[in-house]
Amino acid sequence: MATSMRTKRVAKERQKIDKYGLPPGIELVDGNDLKEWLFDIRVLDNNPLYNDKVYQLKFVFSESYPIEPPEVTFVDRPARPVPMHPHIYSNGIICLDLLGNQGWSPVQSAESVCMSIQSMLTSNNKNERPPGDEEFVRGNKQRPRDIEFLYHDNTV
Amino acid sequence: MSKSLQLKEEGNRHFQAGDYIGADGLYSKAIIADAKNPALYTNRAMARLKLGHWESVIADCQTCLALSPQNMKAHYYLAQAQLSICDYDSALENALAAHKLCATTNDKSLGAVTTMVLRCKKDRWGDREKKRLRMEREVEDRMLALLRKDRDDMLATEGDETERSIIEEETNQHMALLSSVFEAARAQNQKKREVPDWAIDDISFDIMVDPVITKTGKSYERATIMEHLRRHPSDPLTREPLSAADLRPNLALRQACEEFLDQNGWAADW
Repeated sequence: MATSMRTKRVAKERQKIDKYGLPPGIELVDGNDLKEWLFDIRVLDNNPLYNDKVYQLKFVFSESYPIEPPEVTFVDRPARPVPMHPHIYSNGIICLDLLGNQGWSPVQSAESVCMSIQSMLTSNNKNERPPGDEEFVRGNKQRPRDIEFLYHDNTV
Repeated sequence: MSKSLQLKEEGNRHFQAGDYIGADGLYSKAIIADAKNPALYTNRAMARLKLGHWESVIADCQTCLALSPQNMKAHYYLAQAQLSICDYDSALENALAAHKLCATTNDKSLGAVTTMVLRCKKDRWGDREKKRLRMEREVEDRMLALLRKDRDDMLATEGDETERSIIEEETNQHMALLSSVFEAARAQNQKKREVPDWAIDDISFDIMVDPVITKTGKSYERATIMEHLRRHPSDPLTREPLSAADLRPNLALRQACEEFLDQNGWAADW
């Protein structure tokens, strides 16, 4: 009953958030649906790359969540740009092992993923896109979690 | 293929198409042709579950179990029918029997059966709770009636006006006190309901029914960790290799979860 597991699990994550709140810099802006959530996310220190900017993450929970990872991307809107990062493509696709089928673990949650992405931004100081960004964005038709990312630079 | 199996196949097709009445009839004919095949009874029970014919589901499952005592589906369907007719204890007993069989055979239905166990526990608790509250109300009403009767008896023999008003006042005080004690007990019952973290499976976020422990010392619900291991044979916390054979039942935790649920049946669906 994978369907019911997704529904219940997402509903319970929602209940936990309503009860205990989220860490600073992370805010649930749309979590009424049990399939798709939107989070606003800010970087808390004074990293000049991201200072004063608000980004938005879109979570799509598949039927098999949390056995399979959620699909997480940055949305691209005037008020919510895609952050500059060597592991984030300009179409919002994030290259993070946690979000791939290999790196994912069912004990992770929407909240823990947001925190990982927040710290991924905090620790970055390179104002650049991944190598081959333009080409990737033009050609990519795959769902993010099925992409076999090559980690060009594991120091980031 | 025998006549009986042909009828069964045809019944399955009707079932798949959503024609449960037709499927029921075909399985019945198959049973006439071969009354000793346990699968025919569980198939018919499944069609009758869809039709809501609880009593005949129960009869079919019992026939099946007489032929094949270790039949997981028969226990599972039996539990569903018994729950529908509010026979909570039997429903839970059969859900647990189905769960045990699923766990030993690594059956794919383990998740659904685990959910069923939780539902039985929750419904059984809800029923007991309802009865308990009703009884509490009855006791309260009876006590209040006794206080009134006591007052009336005393007033009947008391002529003095001052004494009479003292009796009235005392009775009113006693009645108010009694009501407030019962009211406080009810409020206590509604106190904040929290499920302790130790009782919760970190994958499904459900309360655990059959916790199993990994090498790291962390426990998970058997059904959900098995679901995870089918795709990734790794420990969810450390990502080290982990196989079903490495899991051990956590009996103490299982008992703690059971006791918690007995007292807090609402938690089955927190």
